[in-house]
Amino acid sequence: MPDRSVRRMVSVVVLYVVCVLTALAVAAVLIAMTGGPWRRVLTALLDGSVRNPGRWGTTITEATPILIVALGVIVSSRAGLVNIGQEGQLAMGTAAATWVAVNHRGPVALLFMLAAGFVGGALWAGLAAVLRYWRKVPEVISTLLLVFVASQITGWLLSRSFLLQYLEKGVQNQVQTSKQLDPTTRVGSVRLLGNAVPWTALAAVALAVAVGVLISRTRWGFRLTVLGRNPRTAQRIGVPVMIAGSTALMLGGAMAGLAGASMLAAGASGYRFTAGFSNNVGWEGLLVALVARNRPWACIPVAFVFGMLRTGSGFLAATGVPRSIAEVVRALLVMAMLVPPALMTLFDQRRRPAVAAAGTLATVAAGG
Amino acid sequence: MVGEVSASPTITLHGITKRYGSVVACDDVDLMLHPGQIHGILGENGAGKSTLMKILIGLVQPDEGHLLLHGRPVSVHDPQTAADLGIGMVHQHLSLVDELTVWENVLLGDHRRFDRGIARRQVADTAARYGLAIDPDVRVGDLSAGLRQRVELIKCLRRDPKILILDEPTSVLTPAESEDLFSTLRAAVVTEGRAVALVSHKLAEILHATDVVTIMRQGKVVEHRPTTGATALDLATAMVGRRVSLRSSAAALGATDDLDAGHGEPDTPEGSGTDPAAARPVVLQIDHARVLRHGVAVIDDLCLTLHAGEILGVAGVEGNGQRELGDLLSSLVHLDGGTVTVNGVTAHPGRAGSMAGLGVAVIPEDRHDSGCVLSMTVAENLLLDRIGSVSTMGFVRRTELRQRALALMDEFDIKGAGPDATFASLSGGNQQRVVLARELSHHPAVLVAAQPTRGLDVGAIEYMSARLRAAAASGIGVLLISTELEEILDLSDRIVVLSRGRVIGELTRAEATAERMGLLLGGMAEHA
Repeated sequence: MPDRSVRRMVSVVVLYVVCVLTALAVAAVLIAMTGGPWRRVLTALLDGSVRNPGRWGTTITEATPILIVALGVIVSSRAGLVNIGQEGQLAMGTAAATWVAVNHRGPVALLFMLAAGFVGGALWAGLAAVLRYWRKVPEVISTLLLVFVASQITGWLLSRSFLLQYLEKGVQNQVQTSKQLDPTTRVGSVRLLGNAVPWTALAAVALAVAVGVLISRTRWGFRLTVLGRNPRTAQRIGVPVMIAGSTALMLGGAMAGLAGASMLAAGASGYRFTAGFSNNVGWEGLLVALVARNRPWACIPVAFVFGMLRTGSGFLAATGVPRSIAEVVRALLVMAMLVPPALMTLFDQRRRPAVAAAGTLATVAAGG
Repeated sequence: MVGEVSASPTITLHGITKRYGSVVACDDVDLMLHPGQIHGILGENGAGKSTLMKILIGLVQPDEGHLLLHGRPVSVHDPQTAADLGIGMVHQHLSLVDELTVWENVLLGDHRRFDRGIARRQVADTAARYGLAIDPDVRVGDLSAGLRQRVELIKCLRRDPKILILDEPTSVLTPAESEDLFSTLRAAVVTEGRAVALVSHKLAEILHATDVVTIMRQGKVVEHRPTTGATALDLATAMVGRRVSLRSSAAALGATDDLDAGHGEPDTPEGSGTDPAAARPVVLQIDHARVLRHGVAVIDDLCLTLHAGEILGVAGVEGNGQRELGDLLSSLVHLDGGTVTVNGVTAHPGRAGSMAGLGVAVIPEDRHDSGCVLSMTVAENLLLDRIGSVSTMGFVRRTELRQRALALMDEFDIKGAGPDATFASLSGGNQQRVVLARELSHHPAVLVAAQPTRGLDVGAIEYMSARLRAAAASGIGVLLISTELEEILDLSDRIVVLSRGRVIGELTRAEATAERMGLLLGGMAEHA
């Protein structure tokens, strides 16, 4: 048995190495074709994400909301629900957070702001839960489509000065942006070896541990798992399918909203809520959960790697590679991260019937 | 015997044998279908009727034997060949597309180029010729079950088949619709010289609609006779066979089982059966229960009383409400009428965990469907619904979970894997023991065992039977829902028979003769 798990480990590592090298090779070809310094892709990515002074603090700041979103994804999928609308839940949560906090100051306002993000995201995901259990609309469709509705709504909120829009005096063309957060309602940083790390990052790591314990060590998590893996059994043993499922879906949305609020408080878009504020953090959180194969603690390093891709590709663009190509490079690397878990899942599914059959044979042999 | 039919047979099946592993689905079966004759094929579940028909239309290839069409040997590789040879079948589960209209459905699968106008006229003509009035432009999804069947029949008849097979055609029809169907068959098909095979388990239907009947049991043809002169009783006896008398020897075997002996409950009618049961308290009472599925009553005015310490067998041919009865007692469907009470407390069956909460343990018909979580461990599955009892402040105590599981695995002799292996890695027999162990560990008032030995080997079947007897001996009311007549006769103190979602007869074990069981299984309520 340990032999098989070691072999499995090795094959996963080899898969990752092959995929990442392939992605880097394709990236180098792309950059060479556009006349950029293709030899220095990897160097630039590493310099920008961890090696240059102060960079890994930035990377952690970028990774924090992604990690929180991913934890929410895990809670939803534990209940067998495919919530893919984190991008919208994050935007709606941030809108709620902005509305609560933007005209107040002080740390209490900050706490209320985080709570508002949590509630806002939960309510937005709650719409999908209502559709799911009242009209049987698959949540995978409703959560996705609600992303686009959320984007329209936040755009509208930001274009009305009595709601979220901040009108700068004496400016002709007003942009869709909120007022800047008061310095007292921002998240403070811890200085570590010359890097500024927001305390939300530490809280997010603690949250990962808490979610891990919650789903694998508690009664609630146990019942949620039963629901996710066999809803009819869950119904029979007394897990209220609608309530438990809605809770899981809303918790997923709540985490996305919380991620948005923490992002805002940590300085994203210059402490302002803007159109396009979510900037793919919702989608990337979803991907992190996928790569971590729904294991909360595994999300911590994976989210860090996704943060590295963000800061690294930003730096790559600064070395003379066109911004769009830098984005393509990042996308290639994200894909490289996704291929191994997908292959492993396929592999496991192929093997499972064989294992069951072998088990039956063994018992038959033992019985006879 | 059927010598009065002068015409030569349209098709002859000779020495057909089909095996699935060690199971012989059809064993040296001979069958002749004559033109102008409706040939009934009668048998219980698993008698081999469906396999035989599948061979006839090319869905299944026989291991031995051959087919003669008008005296010439033919081989039917696939349904298309069958269609080309003029063999058409109306399936039990209709294969129509709801979104399409009647004429579109009728033409579906046709290879020829078609013209809408001609096609519609053809459909209308076929319908008119057989008196199957129907509007060709209606969406099939809007039609009743009876009319859908009519569409299926028109679809089949339009191809002008020489041989027409109807597989349990009335299972979705009301009695009036069935009546219509058979008069159509008689009036039109038979006068045109087609050969018709009518597969059914309903005695009334066979008696009413067929000219000759072939009765199958356990893959063999046990009787072949003209329908005229046959009584329901004759057919019932032939269908069910002599198993009633075999029962006593089976029971004797079971009584030697160690578990049974351990509980000191002799398995005789005097010990567990007839009189004392009625005096014991009622643990489960179902009154006029009604459950609708897609607007159709799948459980219809069902009444049932279960006493403590008895095994009540619920017999019936598959698809007569057994699955829904199991679901009802598993809190999976809600009642659309009537009441269910457990130990005198009114239950709300659709509410999550309500039946389990009242002390109704269930071994489900399909344990993978609602009896377990395949990807969780054996230990977790053993304490699936008692996780609160090994938790403090909402946190699960893993070591205690494991210890409790080990104790149960020891008590119920669950082997093959440890408590930390996944449930899926266990063999079928051990999986069933896990479910049994969990359900019995609650000291339930009622144990519902739905098809508890389906798919198990002989040893596992004996174990399960002994456990069920022991459960009853310890005072649990056992409701045994099974389509296996042997199992019912072997274990039950009392027997009720389900037909179309209601109880149509109740017998004590002593009264359960082959004749009476056969009549009830064939859907004929007792007139006595």
